[in-house]
Amino acid sequence: MSKRQLAMVMDLNKCIGCQTCTVACKTQWTNRNGREYMYWNNVETYPGAGYPKNWMELGGGFDAAGDLQAGVIPNLEADYGVPWDYNYDELSTNNLIAGNAKPGFSPNVEPTWGPNWDEDEGAGMFPQDNYFFYLPRICNHCTNPGCLSACPRDAIFKREEDGVVLVDLDRCQGYRYCIAGCPYKKIYFNPKISKSEKCILCFPRVEQGLPPACAQQCVGRIRFVGFLDDEESQVYKLVHKYKVALGLRQDYGTQPNVYYVPPTESPAKFDADGKIIEGSTRLPIEELEKLFGPGVHDAIKTIKSEMQKRKETGESELMDILIAYQHADMFRLDNNYYQEVAKSKGNRLAPPVDTRYIVGKHTAGAHAINFYHGGDFKAGGHH
Amino acid sequence: MKKLSTSLIAAAWAAASLMGLQTADIVAKKVNTDLSKISYSADVWNEAVFSEITLFPQTSIALNDKKANDANANAKAKKAKVAAVHNGIQIAFLIKWADGSMNIQSGYKADIYADGFAVQFPSGAFKPDTLPYIGMGSEGRPVVVHLQKAVKSFYEPNGKGNVYYQLNPNQTELFNEELDAYNKKVKAIGSNDYEKAFIAEGFRSTTEIKDGTDLSYARLGYKTDGWMGSLSRSLKDVYVDLNHAAIPVAFAVWDGEKLGRDGLKHLTSWLSVSLEGNGDGSALIAAIQDASGDVAAGKEAVATNGCAGCHQVEATDAPNYMGPSLSNIGGYATASYLRESILSPSSVVVPGYNRNAHSNYMWYTEENGKRVSTMTDYSWLDAQTLENMVAYLQTLKAEVE
Repeated sequence: MSKRQLAMVMDLNKCIGCQTCTVACKTQWTNRNGREYMYWNNVETYPGAGYPKNWMELGGGFDAAGDLQAGVIPNLEADYGVPWDYNYDELSTNNLIAGNAKPGFSPNVEPTWGPNWDEDEGAGMFPQDNYFFYLPRICNHCTNPGCLSACPRDAIFKREEDGVVLVDLDRCQGYRYCIAGCPYKKIYFNPKISKSEKCILCFPRVEQGLPPACAQQCVGRIRFVGFLDDEESQVYKLVHKYKVALGLRQDYGTQPNVYYVPPTESPAKFDADGKIIEGSTRLPIEELEKLFGPGVHDAIKTIKSEMQKRKETGESELMDILIAYQHADMFRLDNNYYQEVAKSKGNRLAPPVDTRYIVGKHTAGAHAINFYHGGDFKAGGHH
Repeated sequence: MKKLSTSLIAAAWAAASLMGLQTADIVAKKVNTDLSKISYSADVWNEAVFSEITLFPQTSIALNDKKANDANANAKAKKAKVAAVHNGIQIAFLIKWADGSMNIQSGYKADIYADGFAVQFPSGAFKPDTLPYIGMGSEGRPVVVHLQKAVKSFYEPNGKGNVYYQLNPNQTELFNEELDAYNKKVKAIGSNDYEKAFIAEGFRSTTEIKDGTDLSYARLGYKTDGWMGSLSRSLKDVYVDLNHAAIPVAFAVWDGEKLGRDGLKHLTSWLSVSLEGNGDGSALIAAIQDASGDVAAGKEAVATNGCAGCHQVEATDAPNYMGPSLSNIGGYATASYLRESILSPSSVVVPGYNRNAHSNYMWYTEENGKRVSTMTDYSWLDAQTLENMVAYLQTLKAEVE
């Protein structure tokens, strides 16, 4: 367990499925270098197959006894979806309209699946009882990560200072047991470099006091970021004080650190004549229980009673937090914490490699790894 | 108890030399040609002596890829042909093994795996009766592993700094000739040779040697239903000293068709290689010989001493992984390793294969930074019973396909 844990809370009542977070992440990290098919952040429609397809049925995580469970590594075409490209290049040589057998741009691969493929399908029958909600997902930066446990190379590590789970690309050999071990399937194989990669919680931004790109860009302001032990942070208040934010599929045993405020309201069902069935709700509580555990009942009760309190008295700290007035209040990262950490390490920020392996013991010499922030760490030893 | 095991080994050597069993598993012929960069098709192999070796499926520890585990359930052992040559400065090995499918890791795919092979040597000085643990060595007894895999060009992400050439070509501003030139440049900076060398002293500690020492030259080629892999390297460098009368070597092969990689492999036990012209290597050759005990009595002793309480013993027993599975142990453990592990379980304790993968069943505890096996100490066993048990354990191996 790390000394501190950075966490994110996502308020599902406010997610509109616009994918701005997805695009923020993609343009920041995954539009290049073999990562094209990866979505470190994706927003899927629930109920639905999700991304990768049927990820909840692909194993991984731990059983009640704490033993790692076997899992399945998804197929790129069938389960993730191939990112296709159009023949833009032909614009300069061919007339894609006049006299062309196949006018217009055409994809280079026939798409059969992709992230958000089943957008807004949901469950139930339109119009009487159909329902769905959006479920944005990033790496959960778990306290007991399935990926880390599965790695036979010690190539995955959890940073002491903030609990961010990273792949040490210098050690990773591309064996992919991590993908089988992660029950959320949020770690991916990069075929171009033959190594695994995953959401890094935008640690280079976080170290500068900025929230992850997905949280910064969210138009609905559904994402709160802060340290779980910082009682002033809204993350702390939502998770620990009001207990309205819950981990996704905690039954997987990895202790996820991304928390969700469950959808609290859903419309009433219609009867055969299209009339509202009073007192009915479309979203079955069993679905929410499956995702967020038994705590979901109390969470919903708390939110409803605070809503009521706000209506009656005009005051509710919880409602004020969930309204998300100010980014400055939603993200509590700065306070010079990372600067202090860097100072304690000789004014260098933490390298994205496993520090246990920096100093050589058996290799005759270390090799240098150069990072963007100028560090030339010596890697290649062991212990 | 250390004394007991040493005297037993001495007895075993004496017995072996009396029976005249001192032939090495592999004989490295002495040649006069330069061996620094030779491949599997070099002429020098015409002079070499080929030996048949058997590689057994690794079943000691469970891995967590469901599909791969299904594909490798009841895996059989494989035969391979191995030859070695040396010239006093360099040594070269050639391994040929049957593989009905050529699996190359290439293209934009997430779940395909490469065929490949590895050659393992002890790192530094080695003692014939306490060789490193066969699976990636053990604490204080490191190994060097050379690995070559059928992986098409890949791109190391670190240290090169050429981010522009990591872009998806469709996201560049380039068209036509410029785009072609871009793609050519990307290809040129990719790594076309997977070959790697590692040093390890137990699972998880494996570290790639990237310090600039030109360690080895390994080639891999597919020809009519099988692979040929060659490795040439110097007999001595900062990592290994192989310039002896006889040396231990171990081989492993991977089958991409069965989703093999890492521990999902076939491997040999330590094999002895005698280096022609380097003197008498009988000490090492004898140390690698099988135990001479009574198998039936050993089987009974294994049962009455409760080994099955924590270990899967026969392949037909249910696997429990409370301790490493022994169902193929005869395929890849030497008699001296088995003796040592029974008499003194904490002598060789490899770090847990998967950290907290088996947290419900602790294989070892850590006391003052030292790993202590949770296995009962059997140092009270009499020498004959021990020898019988080891002889029985050495019969536990998968049949050859």
